[in-house]
Amino acid sequence: MLSKYNIFIVMLLLFAGLQAQEKQNTFKEAFKASLVITSDFSYEFKKSDLQKSEIILKPEFIYRLNRNSKFVLKGQLYSDLNDNLETGVPKETTVSGMNKRLFIGDRTNLELREFYFYTKIKNKLRLTIGKQQIVWGETDGLKLLDVVNPQNFREFILDDFEDSRIPLWSLKAEFDIKDIGVQFVWTPDNTYHITQDFEAPFFTKSLFKSPPKSVSTVLNKPLKPKRFIADSDVGIKLSTFTKGWDLSLNYFYFYDDLPVFYNELKVTDTNNPIVTISPKFKRQHLLGGTFNKVIGSSTLRGEIAYIFNQNFTSTSPEAVLGIETSNQFKSAIGIDYIKGENIISAQLFSDIIIDNISPYNRDKFETNTSLKISRDMMNDNLNAEVLWVHNTNHGDGYIKPQVSYWMNTKTQLFLGSSIFYGNESKLFGQFKDRSRISLGMRWGI
Amino acid sequence: MKTKLILGLLTIALLFPTTSRGQSLPSGQSIADKTYARNEGISMSRKLTMELKDKRGKVRIRETTSLRKYIGDEKRLAIFYITPKSIMGTAFLTYDYPDASIDDDQWLYMPALRKTRRISAANRGDYFLGTDLTYEDIKLETRISRDDYNYETIDKETIDGQETYVLEGIPKNDKIAKELGYSKVKLWVDANMWMLRKAESWDVAGNHLKTTVISDFKKVQDIWTYHKIEVKNHKTNHETIFRISDVDYKTVLNDDVFTKETLVNGL
Repeated sequence: MLSKYNIFIVMLLLFAGLQAQEKQNTFKEAFKASLVITSDFSYEFKKSDLQKSEIILKPEFIYRLNRNSKFVLKGQLYSDLNDNLETGVPKETTVSGMNKRLFIGDRTNLELREFYFYTKIKNKLRLTIGKQQIVWGETDGLKLLDVVNPQNFREFILDDFEDSRIPLWSLKAEFDIKDIGVQFVWTPDNTYHITQDFEAPFFTKSLFKSPPKSVSTVLNKPLKPKRFIADSDVGIKLSTFTKGWDLSLNYFYFYDDLPVFYNELKVTDTNNPIVTISPKFKRQHLLGGTFNKVIGSSTLRGEIAYIFNQNFTSTSPEAVLGIETSNQFKSAIGIDYIKGENIISAQLFSDIIIDNISPYNRDKFETNTSLKISRDMMNDNLNAEVLWVHNTNHGDGYIKPQVSYWMNTKTQLFLGSSIFYGNESKLFGQFKDRSRISLGMRWGI
Repeated sequence: MKTKLILGLLTIALLFPTTSRGQSLPSGQSIADKTYARNEGISMSRKLTMELKDKRGKVRIRETTSLRKYIGDEKRLAIFYITPKSIMGTAFLTYDYPDASIDDDQWLYMPALRKTRRISAANRGDYFLGTDLTYEDIKLETRISRDDYNYETIDKETIDGQETYVLEGIPKNDKIAKELGYSKVKLWVDANMWMLRKAESWDVAGNHLKTTVISDFKKVQDIWTYHKIEVKNHKTNHETIFRISDVDYKTVLNDDVFTKETLVNGL
């Protein structure tokens, strides 16, 4: 597996060698190091116990070859002191060989978060080669176009996306054709979402159709794409800024980061029914776009995504292996109103299944809303904000209030809470026993 | 007859003292125009350190790299945060258009979200990222607005041994006053360099709001350049000190530095 990624190392060295011909910096000028340490202790109301005791060290090194080129390395030492969110050493069956974390015991792991070479060639072409995060889209909280990198659902969607997004070995090339910015993305890294085991606090049971208790279940290992070139993801983003409008058009040909859970009911020789679940990753085409425009004191922003042949777990007895396929249209429109130190941000998300199918545990037309109110105080020393995400179809959602305070230049304290509500078979409601209060600190040098 | 003429002139002088004095002082508008005509170079890079001090004396320091370029009459400004390390990568971009009736376009890149947010420039009286200067103050630097105030040049004073014109500015209407957050400003403009040296401002309720002192002027590559701004907010007792260093007007800045892509990729 390692050899497949040698192409990245060769490309890194090749471009670095070419750039080395330009004017060099002294080592002191060229090398920058920093370290950010974060801690987060969350207390779960239902269990009356710590849900997580997280300490993360994030060292970052930048080596600037010249004014056009740099190496960036971001590492991470992660420790959950009570080993609760990802119990033991996870198998990481959906993660490629070069992207796996190095576990030191059950509680601690080391991860190469990002390692890339960035260069500008003749001020016309900008290349980023290596392990990186590529983020598309305009929305907050819920994702439409932000699908280039998969996610670790260790904390469902409570974790900062910066931490939960899994960086991939990728190539990003950017150049301009007149007033249109072109971004080409190639991702041969066969890493997909990390979902949690049945016993984990944030196991997303709402996605799976549970068989009756009398029926035993066999869960097969996910069938994961392995071919370096043929199974790679490719995407293109065209963007422009015209007459006050920021616009983008996005296309992505990719494997859905969540496998399709094909299920089959069989009766054994001893007349015992058994359900076999065979997860398999499937290819998709996504076409989408974004826009934003300032109108007075507000910014209007939006995002659409049309996915061809999305697979859904079905309740129809006619569904083949329990799965039906439909095109899917997702849209989001949001408005950010800024007045002084106050920000009010509202978003409306729609998710429509185009074809006439019978999806499991969701409606064909689903609507989510979000509202975020934020206020900076004391010259940005103190910030108070609350985020409310609500599904209007099922009446479930979560509320996340948080206060943060800068103690000094280097240290910031956080106090927050995450409260889920609603039907426990639904996406947000399933975690209502996971509601918690959190205290954290971030320190950087 | 001669005595009557002298008495008449004296009466006019006593009745309209500012008019008389104003005749020997340049108009506020002409001074404002001169602050714009000053050579600022086409491109500039510099280090900008912001020292934020609250009323209890607690100090927070933010270090940035600031880049500016004129593309025609359009001014583009990009500010990249270097410290605090936990928000390193935060970046701010402004397109400032020569037509004052067109709002600036502004973007803020937040590394924690890895997203670039569009920011309304209509709220130009909002405070800039926790400092005591507003977005409008930051945009103007040492210039004084040509469009927002009715000025009166009221005096000449000496600051740091340099002659300055003292202007009083009243916003042209209530809407502008509300946008800027000021009901009145008093400005000291250097009579030789045509740069702002000091400013006092009053909030919309008429309370004394801020004192701004600009100092440490030096010629860099033959362009007069300030190196320190001290701002004291009298309402909150919060202070911000801006320190400028490593100024370079000869740095080559390509247009693509001032794009959203560069905010994301960093310097």
